[in-house]
Amino acid sequence: MAAVNTTGPAPYIYACTRMKVRKATLIPREEYMRMLNMELPGITRIIEETHYKAEIDELASSFSGIDLVEIALSWNLAKEYQKIIELVPGHLKGFTRSYLLRWDIQNVLTILRGKSQDIPQGRIREITIPAGSLDKNALDRLIAEDSADRIVEALKAHVLYPVFEREMAGAVESGSFAHMENELFKAYYTEIVRAAKGGVKGGHAFLQYIRLDIDTRNLMTLFRVKGSLESDELREMMIAGGTFSVEELVRLAGSESSDEIIETIRNRLNLDSFTEVLETFREEKSVHKIEIALTKAKLDQLDKLAKRYQFSVCPILLYLELKQYEVSNLRALARGKESKLEPESIGACMVV
Amino acid sequence: MAVETMTIEVAEASAVGFKAIGAGLAVGLAGMGTGLAQLGIGGAAVGATAENKEMFGLALLFTVIPETVVIFGLVVALLLLFT
Repeated sequence: MAAVNTTGPAPYIYACTRMKVRKATLIPREEYMRMLNMELPGITRIIEETHYKAEIDELASSFSGIDLVEIALSWNLAKEYQKIIELVPGHLKGFTRSYLLRWDIQNVLTILRGKSQDIPQGRIREITIPAGSLDKNALDRLIAEDSADRIVEALKAHVLYPVFEREMAGAVESGSFAHMENELFKAYYTEIVRAAKGGVKGGHAFLQYIRLDIDTRNLMTLFRVKGSLESDELREMMIAGGTFSVEELVRLAGSESSDEIIETIRNRLNLDSFTEVLETFREEKSVHKIEIALTKAKLDQLDKLAKRYQFSVCPILLYLELKQYEVSNLRALARGKESKLEPESIGACMVV
Repeated sequence: MAVETMTIEVAEASAVGFKAIGAGLAVGLAGMGTGLAQLGIGGAAVGATAENKEMFGLALLFTVIPETVVIFGLVVALLLLFT
């Protein structure tokens, strides 16, 4: 999967510098604060004036209003990710592709859920984001399939096909894809850990990112379900491969005292970005705010990794994640303004 | 007598030869050092310029800074050969 490096470090320096320049062009925090006090037409105008102009112009004849903004943002994200896969060299391409497999999971589940609820094909097409290994044409072919079984059959060449095949019957029977989603993400993390540990140079930096990502996801799950689920259910939701073992997380979730949980996490994680955030959780009760705070801590820690491993996969992953959050922030802003939400409520949903 | 004259001639010829080798090494090694430095700077410069055309002037300036190293090597080589 990963190409052999025969060209020296120059292409890596080139690609990572491009990512750093692109990162510098993302919308800054002050701009978001300004946009929070604007009306929807003003926000749309700003979105048009930034990197999203081409997509807005391209889609203006087919969509309008909030749908135009939302679809243009998704298209831009997909195009950007595909361009990045093209420009990253050597084994970084392999790592980036592995990382982007998460979009395949999201897209296939969107299609399966849409099909099971008889959503029209056009609507499903609008909300899929071809940012992973399944491009627009592959997703269109999946959307055109008649049944869930045929969709899974069409994924035979995909690296996660065994999981799709194994979980499909249970998901159709129960009418819920939640268990399948958990299993897919577990398989996804197993797959990217395998790619990182494959002996390819640079795998160490990628592995550090994966551990950070797994820790963040597990902590989000822990704070979301703490005290409300049985051990077996919890065990099924946790992802192995992070700083904490699954058993440790289950034990923590069963703990009565929040202080004890926070203290244990702080001591074991020992990451500056999380230490400060964890302190605020002693008072914070809103799961949503905790999730946003954990995401910010993760991005902050990833930024540190990108500075430590300057010419590795980390600067690329940092840009990919920041771009994803830029798109979701703009979507939250546009949707929030359309629904006449207060700026404070919209701001609470954004990662800035 | 003839052997002594020949030894002096050989020594003088060797001195000129070693100077030439030293000059060659001075320029060659300095050139390699410059090349190594420009490998990274050049990669970053092209990357930055590809994203933002306005960076071209600054990127070019940073790329030529290691050229000073090869100029030092050249000066050492010239001093060796002509003094």
